Amino acid sequence: MKLQRLRIEQVRQFRTPIALDDLQPGINLIHGPNESGKSTLVRAIRAAFFERHRSKSVEDLRPWGDSAAAPAIELSFEHGGHQWSLTKSFLQRKRCDLQIDGQSFSGEEAEEKLAELLGYQFPKKGGSKEEHWGIPGLLWVEQGTGQDIEKAVEHAGDHLKSALNNLVGEVASTGGDDVIQAIEKQRAELLTGTGKPRGEYLQLEKERAGLEAEIAELGARIEQYQAQVDRLGILTSEFERANRDRPWEEARRRMEQAQQHLRQVESLQAQQLREQETLDHVRQHLKLLHQNREQMQSQGKKLEQREADLCKARELLVEEEARTPALDQAVRDAREEYDTAVRIVEQARQHEIRTRLKQEIARLQGQYKTSRQSLDKAAEFQQKLDEARQQKQENRVDADAVQQARATRRQLDEERIRSQTIATRLTWQLEPGQSLELNNESLEGKGERRLLDESTMQIPGVGRLGIYPGGEDLASVRRNLARLEQALDEKLRELGVRSLDEAEHKLAHYQDATSRLKHSEDLLLSVAPQGLERLRTVTRDTLAELEARKEELNALLDASGTADDYPPSLADAERARKQVESRLSGAEAARRQHEKAVLTARQNVQNANREWEQLAEELSKSESQRQLQELVERISASEKRESELVTTLASLDKKIRDARPDLLQQDIQRFRQAAETQQKAQENRERELRDVRVRLEAWGAEGLEEQLSEKSGELEHANRRYEELHRRAEALDLLLNVLSEKRQALTRRLQAPLQKHLDHYLSVLFPEATLEVDEHLMPGRFSRGSELGTMTELSFGAREQMGLISRLAYADLLREAGRPTLIILDDTLVHSDAERLDGMKRILFDAAHRHQILLFTCHPEKWQDLGVEPRDLQALKSQAVS
Amino acid sequence: MYSDRGSLVPRFLHTADWQMGRSFSRFETEDGAALVEARYAAIEKLAQLAVEQECDAVLVAGDVFDAQAVSDRTIRRVFNATSVFKGPWIMLPGNHDAALAESVWTRARRLDAVPGNIHLALEAGVILLEEQRLAVLTAPLTQRHTYTDLTEDFKDRETPQGFLRIGLAHGSVQGVLPDDVDSTNPIAPDRVDLANLDYLALGDWHGTKEINERTWYSGTPEPERFRNNDAGYALVVTIPEPGAVPEITSHEIARYRWHQWRETLSVPSDLDRLIERMEELPETSVLDIRLDGAITLEGLQRLDHALSLAEARFRSVACDRASLQLEPTEDDIASLHADGYLGDVIEELQMRQGGDSPGPARDALAILAGMLKSRDQGVNQ
Repeated sequence: MKLQRLRIEQVRQFRTPIALDDLQPGINLIHGPNESGKSTLVRAIRAAFFERHRSKSVEDLRPWGDSAAAPAIELSFEHGGHQWSLTKSFLQRKRCDLQIDGQSFSGEEAEEKLAELLGYQFPKKGGSKEEHWGIPGLLWVEQGTGQDIEKAVEHAGDHLKSALNNLVGEVASTGGDDVIQAIEKQRAELLTGTGKPRGEYLQLEKERAGLEAEIAELGARIEQYQAQVDRLGILTSEFERANRDRPWEEARRRMEQAQQHLRQVESLQAQQLREQETLDHVRQHLKLLHQNREQMQSQGKKLEQREADLCKARELLVEEEARTPALDQAVRDAREEYDTAVRIVEQARQHEIRTRLKQEIARLQGQYKTSRQSLDKAAEFQQKLDEARQQKQENRVDADAVQQARATRRQLDEERIRSQTIATRLTWQLEPGQSLELNNESLEGKGERRLLDESTMQIPGVGRLGIYPGGEDLASVRRNLARLEQALDEKLRELGVRSLDEAEHKLAHYQDATSRLKHSEDLLLSVAPQGLERLRTVTRDTLAELEARKEELNALLDASGTADDYPPSLADAERARKQVESRLSGAEAARRQHEKAVLTARQNVQNANREWEQLAEELSKSESQRQLQELVERISASEKRESELVTTLASLDKKIRDARPDLLQQDIQRFRQAAETQQKAQENRERELRDVRVRLEAWGAEGLEEQLSEKSGELEHANRRYEELHRRAEALDLLLNVLSEKRQALTRRLQAPLQKHLDHYLSVLFPEATLEVDEHLMPGRFSRGSELGTMTELSFGAREQMGLISRLAYADLLREAGRPTLIILDDTLVHSDAERLDGMKRILFDAAHRHQILLFTCHPEKWQDLGVEPRDLQALKSQAVS
Repeated sequence: MYSDRGSLVPRFLHTADWQMGRSFSRFETEDGAALVEARYAAIEKLAQLAVEQECDAVLVAGDVFDAQAVSDRTIRRVFNATSVFKGPWIMLPGNHDAALAESVWTRARRLDAVPGNIHLALEAGVILLEEQRLAVLTAPLTQRHTYTDLTEDFKDRETPQGFLRIGLAHGSVQGVLPDDVDSTNPIAPDRVDLANLDYLALGDWHGTKEINERTWYSGTPEPERFRNNDAGYALVVTIPEPGAVPEITSHEIARYRWHQWRETLSVPSDLDRLIERMEELPETSVLDIRLDGAITLEGLQRLDHALSLAEARFRSVACDRASLQLEPTEDDIASLHADGYLGDVIEELQMRQGGDSPGPARDALAILAGMLKSRDQGVNQ
């Protein structure tokens, strides 16, 4: 394919038409700075092929702000000897016209022709995208996408393969892919992508499970039904047998038998009770008879006893009477002894009284003497006391007042001394005989005087001298002196004395009297604590008592006369008396006892005698003999009756015991229960029969076994259908696998020529390297020396270079298959260093021998050595303008 | 019936094993329903036959019903189907419809579905048909399984002078039938002699079978499975007088015939013969084919074609080809126009057919061949 001419109008910045004429078969280098419109040109070529002319997704073609624009693109190219020219306009004027060797096509027909030629497809709606671009997507490299080869190859996929089919020398398969699609479709009806059942297949699987469950349930219900039928059979036969045999009646009959038997036993028991009562009665009677007989038999013995008793009583009396004289003597002796002891006690008491009186007199005499002495002393102390009291009375003075006077005197003295010191001192020494008169006092000889007051000295003969003591203190001293003197005088007056000395003297007398008074009082108190008068009374009383005692003693001495034998002490005498007294009372008690015993013995003899006589008289009568005889006979009769009764009772007891009334009771209960149970069981059977019949009627109407048979058939049917589908699914799965496998094998056969072309270019760039093409015709493993990896692991620059190489290899392959191979490179290889770029230039130049290449760049200087004439876009634009 | 001379010649119809209530839902719904209907039709036919043959009675030797728990409708329909023959019917409970405490029979009575002329032999005994001078000694099964010979006491059952002694029983005659070891419901083979019977009418074996000149299995009147040949008949028994040898005629009742073929295809003519045989079968056939051996693609097409014809003609056709190998010939493959890798695929599948799991490979091959063929035909058209 050779693009000859390109013209665009109203596309983006190209508002006015611009044309690229005379495009060369090999490389065409178109350059211009950024935003000069290179990309717009590329976009225009793409739009011309890829976009539907009716598309609404080509707004980007519109010149900015020109709503009336109708972007138009004209293309002319030659392919396979045919001349194609395309005119396409969008938006405001949607048209597509294609001429192939003069034959015209338009609209979608024209578009489809182009798509078929180049191997791409149109989108169903919206703008054309990468995945629609097919083979051009691989060969037309947009700015900056040269390295992304995988997606481009993938999108080119089918177009590529069908384009390459005739390369492998044989037909890949006419419609093999259709078969695969058809098989895939059929398989998809049965299986999901992951091989799980779906649709009818899945439905059947579920249906089978459902049927199996239903069958199991039906089976279970039939089993139940049959069990109920069996139960019915058993019940019916049991019920009928019971109705025939009526076992409860037998039980009831036997119960009645037992009841009758028990009644018999009960009558025996009643008899037994009666007999026992009789026996008890007889025994009681017999006991009484025995008692009577014993009583009678005891009378004879009693008479003998009484005789013996009488003898014994007499003997006792004689014995007692014999003891009487001895006992009397003992009493007499004891009494004599006692009288003697009493006398001695009297003597002892007299003696003791005397002795006590004597002692009393001695004590009273002593006491009297003491009292007298105390009385004398007391009188003396009383006298002293009176004296002291009188002295005290006479010298009564206030001690405090004396003290105050004394203090005043001392102050006065002190004041006087001070006044002497400050007083005017007047000394004199007169000629003998001469005198002076001072203040009317005559002075003679020599002397000295201190003057405090204004004084007048009369010198006889001379006149008078006035002396005036000076100093201001003098007046106050003088006043103080006067005041103190006055105070002292007042105090002394109060005290009633003339001088202080007298007061002092008086006070001393007073204090002495006070002390003596206290002393005398204490003495008096020591001899007469209760007063003198009381002491006098006591003394008097003591004397009187003494006199009385003396008289008493004298009287006693007169009475006793001989007062000088010494009897034992009173206590001893008394003790001796008591001993004798107790001996006396013992003897007297013994004699009383004895008298009583004698009396008793005598009474006993009388009583025994009387009783013996009574009984002897009674026994001599014949009546009692007869009674005894009768009694013996009655006893014998009762004893016989008793033995009869015992025998009867024993036989009754045996009979009752043999009949086992307890067991009979149990039998009755047992038979009653048996009858009830059996009858109840029969009723239960009847009820169950009714229930089972009703149940079976209901279940029977459902036709369970018929249903089961039907469901089993359905299951079999479903199973068969399932098996069919299962086998079909397996077969389809297998078929699809084998088909895919074989198809892949074919693809692998396409790898070889692609690899050849790839190697051709690669050796220019990396002489030692290999780049393997995988089964999807994708460049895969890259190796260079020891370096090994995939293409994606290479640097960006290397990847771009590899991408371009791969694309050129595809182009070679496509060319061999007779397909159009226009190559468009928009600013490619910008990341290649100079050396690599050099290599790439060689490769491009080589490729350009086989393919037309449009190379757009903004770096024309880099491509100077490409050997083609660069075309300046700016220049083209200016041409257009011109 | 009466002889030409006007004397009574007892004649009766002997049938058994109706198995009513059996369903055939493993077949397609429509086919199953038709097979069920055919069984009712068979009863009607029996009644009709009894009328035509001037039979004095119809004896049904057990298994009138296939199960105890059948639907009320089935019960009513069975008795309704007998209506044409107004003479006495004697129905004997068999092992499928034993006279249990609650059974299909007690239900039938409760439903009031049993006409007056039908005697249910629910208890062992003698049913006297005075008018027909027939004494029928019955041995009904009253339990699901019986291991004793219920006809043992036939010899002790007395019948009036001049009456035919006819035994009616259901079970396996010992030592005569295949697979009867340990079989339940045993019957002594010489029961006729032991019990001085004129005839012993038996049920249980589904094909018509003579045990001796007085002992017969009538078989089921309408076949219901592929086994048991000689099913689908009823016996008309005529015994001129007590002690006379019975005159027995067999009458076909069956509507559908059941065929099960096991064929091996080895040479092309085998397929031809199979197709011919299929073509010869009457429309009232239920066919079950299982094939093994090998078949060419062309043969497969012919087989498919023949089967699709048969499906339209017959009541039911089933063909199991699981063991049949598909072996395309050179011509076969050439005719498929399988170019490119499709050819490789066919080769691979053929190879796999000889491997461990030939089934899927063969099916896959058949699918592929079918698809290619139809494509070619589409192209040609």
